[in-house]
Amino acid sequence: MSTTTWIDALATDALPTDDVIGIEVDGRDIALYTVGDAVYATDNLCTHGHARLCDGFLEGHEIECPLHQGKFDVRDGKPTCEPATEPLRHYPVKIEGSRVFVRLD
Amino acid sequence: MSETSTVFPSTPQWEGDGTHRIPFLTYTSDALYQRELERFFYKGHWCYVGLEAEVPNAGDFKRTVVGERSVIMVRDASGAINVVENVCAHRGMRFCRERHGNRKDFVCPYHQWSYTLKGDLQGVPFRRGVKQDGQVHGGMPADFKTSEHGLTKLQVATRGGVVFASFDPEVESFESYLGPAILGYFDRLFNGRTLKILGYNRQRIPGNWKLMQENIKDPYHPGLLHTWFVTYGLWRADNKSQLRMDSRFRHAAMISTRGTAGQAGQVTQVSSFKADMQLNDPSFLDIVPEPWWGGPTAVMTTIFPSVILQQQVNSVSTRHIQPSGHGSFDFVWTHFGFEDDDEEMTQRRLRQANLFGPAGFVSADDGEVIEFSQQAFESKPFHRTLAELGGHAVEDTEHMVTETLIRGMYRYWRDVMEA
Repeated sequence: MSTTTWIDALATDALPTDDVIGIEVDGRDIALYTVGDAVYATDNLCTHGHARLCDGFLEGHEIECPLHQGKFDVRDGKPTCEPATEPLRHYPVKIEGSRVFVRLD
Repeated sequence: MSETSTVFPSTPQWEGDGTHRIPFLTYTSDALYQRELERFFYKGHWCYVGLEAEVPNAGDFKRTVVGERSVIMVRDASGAINVVENVCAHRGMRFCRERHGNRKDFVCPYHQWSYTLKGDLQGVPFRRGVKQDGQVHGGMPADFKTSEHGLTKLQVATRGGVVFASFDPEVESFESYLGPAILGYFDRLFNGRTLKILGYNRQRIPGNWKLMQENIKDPYHPGLLHTWFVTYGLWRADNKSQLRMDSRFRHAAMISTRGTAGQAGQVTQVSSFKADMQLNDPSFLDIVPEPWWGGPTAVMTTIFPSVILQQQVNSVSTRHIQPSGHGSFDFVWTHFGFEDDDEEMTQRRLRQANLFGPAGFVSADDGEVIEFSQQAFESKPFHRTLAELGGHAVEDTEHMVTETLIRGMYRYWRDVMEA
C-alpha cells in the first residue's frame, strides 16, 4: 500500500513566473521552480558547494548555482554542467485548486 | 687576473671569449639571476615537473615549481597530464598548498573561484550578482568571459613517464631540445616501463642553483671529495668513461663503466681514505647488473636547467633543482623503480639510494661544498673560478679528467645571457 503524503506547501499565487523560490516544507529546505505552467521541486542546497539554488538563475529547465555556476535540470535533478556532478534530490509536485503540494517521501 | 679596485662589479668580467674562468658574480648577482629565470626557466626551455607515476589516477595532482613559479601537475578525467600555474586568475593567490592530493576541481579559498583540472575557469561566486526583492544586484560585468580568465596553462611534454613543462608556447619539441645524443641516454633509463615511486628526500642548499648542475658536470670531484666512493670501489680511476653533450653544450651525460680488474688498492689512483673500512652490512652494495644498462654501470645526466637524472648501479632517481633567489635552491630527489621489479630489487634500489644519502655522505658533501663556495663568492664577486682541467676547449671526451662539461654549460650560458 502506498502511504504517499502530499504536503501543502504554498499558495499558487505565491509562485514566481519562470523563476525559483526557496521554501520550507516539513522542516526541509526546498527550491520550487516554475517553467511555463509546470512546477518542479528539488532540494535547495547545491550538491557541490554550500549555496542555495533559490539564489541562483533559472534558464529554461536549468538552474545555475550562484556560487560556482554548476547547473542542474530541475525536472530530474541531474547535473548538466560542472562543477556539479552529484544529482539533486527532486520531488513530485501537484497543484490542486489554489494550493501547491509536494511529496517528500 | 690582478685584484681590481672594484670588489663589487655590476657586470661579470669574463676573460675573452672563453668559459674556463667563471666570474664569481654569475653566482651572486640578483640581476643576473632574474635574467636566468627569464631566459632559462621561463622561456625557450623545458623544465622538469615530475613523473607520471606520481599522479596515476584522474584528479591526482602534485604541486611543484618551474623556476620560482609554483605550478600544479594534474591528471584530468581523460587521463591527460596538465600543468597549470598555481596563481588564481582573480586576485593572484597561490591557492594550492598541498604537495600531493586528489581533486575534482581546483578552488581558490579566497573567493572560491573554481577551475577545471585543465585550468579553465569554471565558476565565479555571484558572477551574476545577488537577487534581492526581485532585483539582481552586483556581479561581474556583462562582458566578463570566464573563457578569458583561466589559470596559466603550460606546454607539457611527456616521454617515458617523465613530465616536463614550459611557460613558452613557442618552445621547441622536447626531443629536439635534448638532441639525439642526450635523448639516447634519456631513453635508456626511461624506456617505456611504468615507473614505481619509492620515495623522496629534500635538501635546501644555500648556494647558487648552477653549482648543482656543475657538480654533476664535474667528474673530477667524486673520487676526491666522496672518498666513500673510492673505499667501496664505486669510483675508480680506471673506470671506462665518456662525457657527452648536446650540440649547444647545455645538457650532458657522464657515462662510466665500473672497472673489473683487481681491488681498488691495486689500481693507481687517488688514495682511498680509510681503505680498510668495512661495511657492517655488505648487502648495501649487492649490485645486480640489469639488461637495460647496456654496459655502463653509472650514467649521470644533467638536463639544463632543472634536473639531474641519476643511474648509479641499481639506484635510479631524478633530482629536481628548484632555485630560490641567487643564493639558495631546494634539491628534491625522487627515487623510483620499475613496475616489473620484484620485491628484492625494490629493496635493493632503496638500499642503494643510501649511497647518495646521509649514509654515503655524498649529497651531504656536495651540499656543503656548494655552501662554502657560495660564501666565498659573496665575499669577493670580482674574482673567478678556474675550470681548466683538460684545457680550455669544450668537447666530448673518452675520459673523466676534465672540466669540459662545465666549460660547455657556460658556453651556452654566455650565448643566451649575452644575446
